[in-house]
Amino acid sequence: MTMSYILKNIVFNNVRIQWNASRILHTSPVCCKSQAGRYRITPKKDFPLTYEMANPPHQIAHRKSWNSWNTTNIEGGLRSSETAVEDVFIRKFMTGTWHNLFVSEIIIKRQHNIIRIAGIIQRSVGARKMYFLIGYSEELLSFWLQCPVKLELQTVPDRKSVVFKYI
Amino acid sequence: MHDSSAKASFSVKCIYNIIDLAISFLLNQTFDEFRVLNLKHVKGQVQQKRQPKKFEILPPRTDQMPVDQDWGSVWPGPRSFHPATVPLPVRQGYVKKGAPPDKYGNAELMKIPNFLHLTPPVIKRQCEALKKFCTPWPKALDTDEKILTPLQLNARAKDKFLRLVGDRYNEETDTVTIVTDRCPLKKQNYDYAMYLITALYHESWNVEPWEETKSEADMEYYDWNKNVSKASVEAIFGKSSEDIPNINVYSDAVSSLMNEGESEYTVSRYGHAVRLLLNLPTS
Repeated sequence: MTMSYILKNIVFNNVRIQWNASRILHTSPVCCKSQAGRYRITPKKDFPLTYEMANPPHQIAHRKSWNSWNTTNIEGGLRSSETAVEDVFIRKFMTGTWHNLFVSEIIIKRQHNIIRIAGIIQRSVGARKMYFLIGYSEELLSFWLQCPVKLELQTVPDRKSVVFKYI
Repeated sequence: MHDSSAKASFSVKCIYNIIDLAISFLLNQTFDEFRVLNLKHVKGQVQQKRQPKKFEILPPRTDQMPVDQDWGSVWPGPRSFHPATVPLPVRQGYVKKGAPPDKYGNAELMKIPNFLHLTPPVIKRQCEALKKFCTPWPKALDTDEKILTPLQLNARAKDKFLRLVGDRYNEETDTVTIVTDRCPLKKQNYDYAMYLITALYHESWNVEPWEETKSEADMEYYDWNKNVSKASVEAIFGKSSEDIPNINVYSDAVSSLMNEGESEYTVSRYGHAVRLLLNLPTS
């Protein structure tokens, strides 16, 4: 009775192990396709791309340059993680505050303790609103980040002005 | 019966009139946020799409710039590129066929650092403005040697000085760099730096009592004059080391062998020195 029980147990355990092993093993090949920052061609070839979008990430420092300029990641640089988080925050704040106005990426340049935020916006709101938004963004960001923040914007008539090509 | 039907037709007519009035009133209104009630399905009353407002835009500033303007006041400080302010037909970007994208709406030009605020005339003007805050160069320091070795230190004091300053000493240029940036005022920082230099100088001349007990095992480099090698050479020749010919070559070779470690060069140099010392034929 006990012997058969033990045998049964061993057999069942082995089967279970085998069943588990077959589930763990992957036999499909690894997909090495890189897709980040690349855009698919549409059937009608009417999808607009800016210059930034038209060049994939491996062209950075060749055909296009970085959107964040700072010295935190060079040797001996300070507070690289804080800078990265702050940059994400600035980008989110700017796209939210300047709703549907930015037609380029938001460029963040740091020199000493000054943060310069550059970008291209479309002229769908009046000049008075833009002046208000510039002051509002500069004031709030410099309060939160505890350093002078400057907005250096350029306006274009509409989104089509920054289209580099259609795919 | 007849009466009542006439009444009903009258009231219907009245309602139609009111609706017509309302429609015409609504059509005459300029605000187009509200949809117009279209009961009769009249064509041409379809809601018009709101046209985007056209804002008055002044022509770019570059069109009105005179050729002989003062660029330093147009672009006084560091700033991102702005196409309407820079009167240059610059282009940036890569295009397979054709010209690179122009300066309007070009984000690449805004990314790269520019030196438009540091044109030669502006630098010259700023230097002129700063000149009145500068003091003349000390006349006593007219040569590089005087600048680089102003501290009067002997070998022992210099050794101690270098140990105290540590990695602030640059061997290539023979200079010590002391950075003071903790105090809020420039004057305080300068005074602190002067204090540091004075303290270092006097401290390196100080000889502590425990420094005299330094034995051979504590030496950081090999000094031939204090070692067994000198004593044995003097014992072999039976006279003082100053009187032995070629002793300087030998002592240098031994010192370099001990200080720099064994290499092909130091060992062969040592062999050559021994041959010279003992008057053996050199190969």
